[in-house]
Amino acid sequence: MRERINFKNVIQTVFRDYLVLAAIVLLVIITSIVEPKFLTTGNLTNIMRQFGPLIMVALGMTFVIICGFIDLSVSGILSLVAVVTISLIEPLGQVGALIVGMLLGTFCGYLNSVLILASGAMKQAEALFITYGMSTIYGALALIYSGGRTKQMSIVKADTSIFSAIGTGTVGILSVSFIMFLVCLLLLYIFQSKTYMGRTIYLTGGNKTAAELAGIPIKRSIALVYTISGLMTALGAIVLFSRVTAASPVIGKGYETNAILAVVVGGTTLIGGNGSVLRTVLGTTLVILMSNCLNLLGVSVYMQYMLKGAILVLAIWLDSRKQL
Amino acid sequence: MGNSGQEIILSIKNVSKSFPGVKALDQVSLEVRRGTVHGIVGENGAGKSTLMKILSGVYQKDSGTIIFDGEDIKSTTPIQSMKRGLSIIYQELNLVNTMSVGENIFLGRFSEMGGMRGVHAKAKELLKSIGSNIDTYKLVSELSVSEKQMVEIAKALSFDSKLIIMDEPSSSLTADEMKELAKIIHHLKDKGISIIYISHKLDEIFEFCSVVTIMRDGHVIDTKPISEITRAEMIAKMVGRPIENEYPERPNCVGETLMEVRSINTKKLHNISFKLRKGEILGFVGLVGAGRTEIVRAIFGADKVKGHEILIDGKPVKIKNPRDAKKAGIAFVPEDRKLQGLVLPFTVESNISMANLDKITRFGFLNRSAERGMAEKHVKALGIKTPSIKTKVRNLSGGNQQKCVVGRWMETNPRILILDEPTRGIDVGAKYEIYLLMKKIAESGGSIILISSELPEVLNMSNRVLTICDGRITGEFDPRTASADQIMEKALEFCRKDLEHERAN
Amino acid sequence: MKNINIGKKLLNIATKQKAVLAVIVILVIMIFPKTNFYTAYNLFDMIKSVSILMILAYGVTLVLVAGGCDLSIGGIMIVAGIVAIKLMNANIPMWISILAALLVGAVVGAINGYLVVYQNTEPFIITLGMGMLLTGIAQQLTDAHPIPCNNPNFVKLANDKLFNTIPNLVIVMIIVFFIIHYILRYTSFGRNCYAIGGDYEVAKYSGINVLPTKAMTFVICGITAALGGVMLSSMLNSGSSTYGDTTALVVNCGVVVGGTSFAGGIGSAPQSAIGLLVFGVLQNSMNMLGIDAYVQQIIQGIVIVTIICLDCYGRKRKREAV
Repeated sequence: MRERINFKNVIQTVFRDYLVLAAIVLLVIITSIVEPKFLTTGNLTNIMRQFGPLIMVALGMTFVIICGFIDLSVSGILSLVAVVTISLIEPLGQVGALIVGMLLGTFCGYLNSVLILASGAMKQAEALFITYGMSTIYGALALIYSGGRTKQMSIVKADTSIFSAIGTGTVGILSVSFIMFLVCLLLLYIFQSKTYMGRTIYLTGGNKTAAELAGIPIKRSIALVYTISGLMTALGAIVLFSRVTAASPVIGKGYETNAILAVVVGGTTLIGGNGSVLRTVLGTTLVILMSNCLNLLGVSVYMQYMLKGAILVLAIWLDSRKQL
Repeated sequence: MGNSGQEIILSIKNVSKSFPGVKALDQVSLEVRRGTVHGIVGENGAGKSTLMKILSGVYQKDSGTIIFDGEDIKSTTPIQSMKRGLSIIYQELNLVNTMSVGENIFLGRFSEMGGMRGVHAKAKELLKSIGSNIDTYKLVSELSVSEKQMVEIAKALSFDSKLIIMDEPSSSLTADEMKELAKIIHHLKDKGISIIYISHKLDEIFEFCSVVTIMRDGHVIDTKPISEITRAEMIAKMVGRPIENEYPERPNCVGETLMEVRSINTKKLHNISFKLRKGEILGFVGLVGAGRTEIVRAIFGADKVKGHEILIDGKPVKIKNPRDAKKAGIAFVPEDRKLQGLVLPFTVESNISMANLDKITRFGFLNRSAERGMAEKHVKALGIKTPSIKTKVRNLSGGNQQKCVVGRWMETNPRILILDEPTRGIDVGAKYEIYLLMKKIAESGGSIILISSELPEVLNMSNRVLTICDGRITGEFDPRTASADQIMEKALEFCRKDLEHERAN
Repeated sequence: MKNINIGKKLLNIATKQKAVLAVIVILVIMIFPKTNFYTAYNLFDMIKSVSILMILAYGVTLVLVAGGCDLSIGGIMIVAGIVAIKLMNANIPMWISILAALLVGAVVGAINGYLVVYQNTEPFIITLGMGMLLTGIAQQLTDAHPIPCNNPNFVKLANDKLFNTIPNLVIVMIIVFFIIHYILRYTSFGRNCYAIGGDYEVAKYSGINVLPTKAMTFVICGITAALGGVMLSSMLNSGSSTYGDTTALVVNCGVVVGGTSFAGGIGSAPQSAIGLLVFGVLQNSMNMLGIDAYVQQIIQGIVIVTIICLDCYGRKRKREAV
């Protein structure tokens, strides 16, 4: 009996993990047949670059969701960090701007967790509303800071070589932003599977009460996941504005839903306690490939937006059925 | 009133009910006559609540017959049984706190009763008929417990009930409120309504009931007219389980004081102070809800409690959260294994290691092979039956799950181990192993606080027993010399609340 | 003992009426600076500007009372508004177009209800996703540009004034208010919603058909959101996919400010009206004082976060009381 249950579990896991992979492969095959442009180096580099900002945000979001929470403030943080960082290149220099930008994102994420912990919002829904509210505040700060105007990187007189490298540079066949992603992935994967705090995040998401009674510092885990999410969002902001060489105060719009989409499609469940950054990579790949394919096939941006929404609803639905 | 010729309103024959791993009811038979108050007594877990839930339709019986008012009831839902005239007033009250009194009485029958005005008019009438003048527009959350009980009774009457089951109706009533309840019960009896009265308070059973049924371990032990049974007999039948070789020999290595707890006071607990000695197993005896769990949660820092003092080795320790408790050498196996103890979708390995992660962490990194070693050590030492340490703990049996929680805390080398219902829902063999484990811990110098609803377990394992009733420590016994009846008597010694009022004034 | 009770009662009144208190405080503050705040024109304008949100809020109240949550209302609103205009531009009579738009709302609400109630999904997340899907649909329908309406009567629907004083939009809002108020207060369905939100198990054991009742609240919420969308399109005489970004948040928070709890079982239409009025009065006052639009957004954000945090904190205190 137990053998059979395990067997069933294996099939389920395989099905869940490889469904995304199968979808990716299928998408690649079909598109490359229908649209030969797909497999050109130009397009692949393009995909790699598009990958950058979303994967950063989604990797951070993964930990928040594993911990059993959710973070809707990433769109606000992304906009704020982008406009602040770009404006600081001139007075502080590139490295200074980079550091301040990352600190700002980290601080915003930490602030979220402070509010959540102080108000005792232990439910996903409560955190959802608080971070949604924080998102409007961060977004408004971005608008005020920039005066509502888009800042161009090209106007900056100071040296912008680092940002240009992040935006367009390549090492061999890999873009710099893709290498950044690989480094982040490696670090976060080690964090997730090898460290004490990584483990406490999973335990907190798995059963808050039991974790607390076993002496796990659940408050610290919650603070940590939001802080990581803030930091990763800041990195996402830097990668994004480096690529488009400009930062509008609403540049982050839609990133929160896309990141959740990538995480959930990858197979990390919203209930918390399981999931992996590797799954998020698969989920993000699928999302990015899909928009790339749809672009090549000439489907309108709005139609894509709609399809993404449909897939998100479907993914959440399937996610909740998994738990039944 | 002559009871002899009265017809039978409820007849239960050979009803059985099993839950996974437990036989909750075994061939239970019972008859209730019209217009009588029928008492049911028994320890926690004797099967009273399960039987009542089957009658009201919350659970379905596995086998047997139930005939109510001449009708064979095969399966039912709560609303159907209420409409048939069988109402139940649960221990945890069954009212919507956010709604008004009137609407609660006619919940789900709003339009049948003619809208808001009709509901409140009829509710007022009903409440009046049981001598209550609660404002029907008041929210239930604003009522006192006894008022809530009135509302429940009115709700039961609104269905023209022929039989009302009262499950521990007096557990939180003051003396005055108790008098009101007594009046109502007599009033209902005069109306020809039968009552099944479940209570731990034997005084009440003797006061109200004409017949009493004693249950234990899912069986009906005896049913007798109240005039033919004495209090001592009743207690003996409630606890008098033949004590076989279920328990290992009691450890006997009590040393000097290890921990002292001074004056825990909360809404529920009153002036809890006690000492725990080295190598001692200290048993807490009391009813569910008497405050046993609250005491240990306060010690462990799981509830935010202020103003108490805890001394270990004579030195005061500050315990604000479970982490502090762990550092102070206290371990806690909570009562609800699945909700508070385990992370069910996780592996045996990570469930065992979760309280000991600091031990295997170096520079923030986990030593996975040390973790594996730790898990394997305890799987072996405790005889946890699992295909591998990577098996999800959800797939283990209750006893093995419990051993995982125990193993987790054993690894912390606790000086004080708190076990809250450690053997609930696990089979006899696994129980014995847990007892052996307790013995081993005590003999190696650890101290144990044991909370259990199974009296024989506490009596056979403890070196000392504290009885707890209504948030107070009511007595201290040596289980080797004291009898089960004596202890039970103290555990049921409810503080006279009227006296207390006088004292307060 | 008695003192505690009086104190408790005062605290209860203060927490229940905090929205009224907030409105009064803002109104008093607005006496001092020299603005056009206290003119009939401005006051009507204020009510009108908040009317659409109020229409949405009444539906949301129903859902929250029954223990659900709907964050897709912003999406439903814009899609319904666009559908109505598109149909009218295709020369379909105005009333039929409006009915079709309401039907769209009902269908989306039914899908939400099905997914939340029968498929056991988390209402917050699934309706958030639904909102995103609907925004995508709206953009697809309009190419993300505002589309004007060809039917000259449509603009009059919301903007004409009864007796030359009260805008029709306000009247529609008041009608919806009374309908929802009636449903919640005087119908069996409405009372059952309170029971379900207050204590799901008790409601179930009392023989209430919990599933269809709860699902129905989503349908009604969809319809009110669609009606709000139609009125919005009529007021602006165009349909656009860009409104409604923060609508769901503002409306849900407004309802909570009014005293409806996310925990379910508590709330009413009048309370929600006052809760939304807080936002309306706040925004109008800030406009009158000439506060920068972005600063307004920050203030609104802070108000929202504060309210939600206080709501959570109250529940935390209750949870931890031993």
